Amino acid sequence: MADAVMQAVNVTKDYETRAVTTRALDDVSLDVTRGEFSALAGPSGSGKTTLLNMLGTIDAPTSGIVRIDGDDVTAMSEAERSDLRLEKLGFIFQSYNLIPVLSATENVEFVLLLQGLGARERRARAEEVLVELGLGDLLAKRPTEMSGGQQQRVAVARAIASNPSIVLADEPTANLDSRTAESLLDLMLRMNGERGVTFLFSTHDRRVMDRARRIVQLVDGRIASDESRP
Amino acid sequence: MLLRIAVRNVARGWRRSLIVLLSIGVGLSGCLFVVAWSKGLVHQMADNAVKIQLAHMAVQAPGYRDNPDVRYNLPDYDAIAKTARSQAGVHASPRLRGEGLVQTARKSVLAVMIGVRPGDEAEVSVVPSSIVEGSFLRTGSGARRLPPVVIGVKMAGEMRAEIGDKLVLHVPGDAGLGAFRVSGLYRTASSEFDGVAVFLRLRDAQRLFGVGDAATEVAIVLDDEKTVDAVQARLQEALGSGVEVLTWRERARRLASMLDLMGDLSWIFYATVFVAMAFGIANTMLMAVYERLREFGVMRSLGLSRARLMMLIALESAALTLAGTGIGLGTGFALVGWLGKRGIDLSMFSDALESYGIGTRVFLHAGWEDALTPLALALVTGVVAAVWPGVRAIRMRPAEALRRA
Ligand SMILES: Nc1ncnc2c1ncn2[C@@H]1O[C@H](COP(=O)(O)OP(=O)(O)O)[C@@H](O)[C@H]1O
Ligand SMILES: [Mg+2]
Repeated sequence: MADAVMQAVNVTKDYETRAVTTRALDDVSLDVTRGEFSALAGPSGSGKTTLLNMLGTIDAPTSGIVRIDGDDVTAMSEAERSDLRLEKLGFIFQSYNLIPVLSATENVEFVLLLQGLGARERRARAEEVLVELGLGDLLAKRPTEMSGGQQQRVAVARAIASNPSIVLADEPTANLDSRTAESLLDLMLRMNGERGVTFLFSTHDRRVMDRARRIVQLVDGRIASDESRP
Repeated sequence: MLLRIAVRNVARGWRRSLIVLLSIGVGLSGCLFVVAWSKGLVHQMADNAVKIQLAHMAVQAPGYRDNPDVRYNLPDYDAIAKTARSQAGVHASPRLRGEGLVQTARKSVLAVMIGVRPGDEAEVSVVPSSIVEGSFLRTGSGARRLPPVVIGVKMAGEMRAEIGDKLVLHVPGDAGLGAFRVSGLYRTASSEFDGVAVFLRLRDAQRLFGVGDAATEVAIVLDDEKTVDAVQARLQEALGSGVEVLTWRERARRLASMLDLMGDLSWIFYATVFVAMAFGIANTMLMAVYERLREFGVMRSLGLSRARLMMLIALESAALTLAGTGIGLGTGFALVGWLGKRGIDLSMFSDALESYGIGTRVFLHAGWEDALTPLALALVTGVVAAVWPGVRAIRMRPAEALRRA
């Protein structure tokens, strides 16, 4: 409990559309501990994206609270949440993660710029991370010149370059073939091992799930099961 | 880096931006052309007025400016001219100027009589070198020993006077009458001037007006017009408070304010263009924003604050507007440079133009200040036009923006 990077406490989320209200999350509570490598599993529409959005502070729950490093983010101002994301969170989305007009290096530099690093240090660190992840060939490439797998790898590099407490990844492998998906997972796993980066990713791919050390199963906006293994 | 993103996005979306770029371009180059045209007209008018009669500045007796009467004169004009000439690049010519009547056997017209020393006057005015027939006040030879007078071709035409004809000049006052012989005809760019200004020798004018050894002004021309204010201050100090040293702008206030008005008008022209463009820019930016909501969602997730996102959109909008402005100014200046140097022949309207002292060819006039106003306005317009699209972008929660394809 003391080591919880991230906590959802009785989180409920209703989406209001014109006619209907959809309960995407129903009283969900979840702790994520430092150093975890966990999967959020569940069929399409089960609330995985919604939960990650709540935890990532990019959407607000209808009720319940979210804590990051002990701080209640639901009580924060938008500016504070923005700063918090910058300092503590990394994001990887399903696709179109990268800023199209920027090269791989510049995409990584972008977060470092927001963190206030000087031009020279930014560049050096961005290149260092990309090379460390085996992406040395892509430095000057724009997203349109990369394959989907390469783009996702650069997204991983960008997510960890700012030394976040946790990286949230919403179906990062959904648009990749299985071999590429596996090697992306290996990369994330390596970063988890070498750098101690905490990962929470959603997936509905059995093989991807199998790499996780903890699997939280969502069904209809509720946690159906939560299994850890050594 | 935000600037880099903004500029690259403008370049990337050039297809979408094309209409805006072109409309700013066309609007602005047209605007620049009109401004350069009207400035050219007024500048030419002012330029000619300076060359023909105003000179860059003049020393006058206090009171003459408000009531141009020969009573307000300068007895020590020679010393004043000498003081003026003692400065580098300064030319001076004493003039005695007053109003009166010119008469032939057939007709009489109102005139402005200007007594000058031909040699001095040639240094400050174009009239002595604008003689089309005869000479400028060269003393008559032989038997016809009447003092010489030079009139404009316009007046000569109206009075049917020719070289060698006798003219009688009347001026108010006791002495006020004298017979002269036409020794030359001049033609300047201003037919209005040519119709009223009559030149005679300074000492003949002094006798005619009965003012003794005096002048009403010492006209001064500088080699470098930019030094006007400095020379004015130095002269005024050297000559003391007994005389007034006035620049041509101070002497011809209406003309000067017309020039200033052109500056204000051009500002209004540009402002109108940009206000009209602002809607197009805002619309283009709105499209650009909607196309990239997902991208903004990603950026916001990474920790880009709302303020910075707003800035990013404003930068992009400003870059777009400046690009259009660049196109507009480029074409505009090219057009002005190309047509402006040759001048545009307006001889078909020459009557109207000549009477205003413009001449028959209009040279367009555009300087750096004509680029600065639109550039400044472009920046402001770009930023203002980004407000609405920007608000739309930052109002959205990142998660919402990310859902947009
Ligand atoms: N913006 C939205 N408006 C209305 N309903 C939504 C919205 N986003 C998600 N939902 C609904 O919420 C439920 C959970 O969706 P989501 O979190 O995207 O699930 P998953 O990521 O597991 O596929 C689904 O029934 C979905 O239709
Ligand atoms: Mg989803």
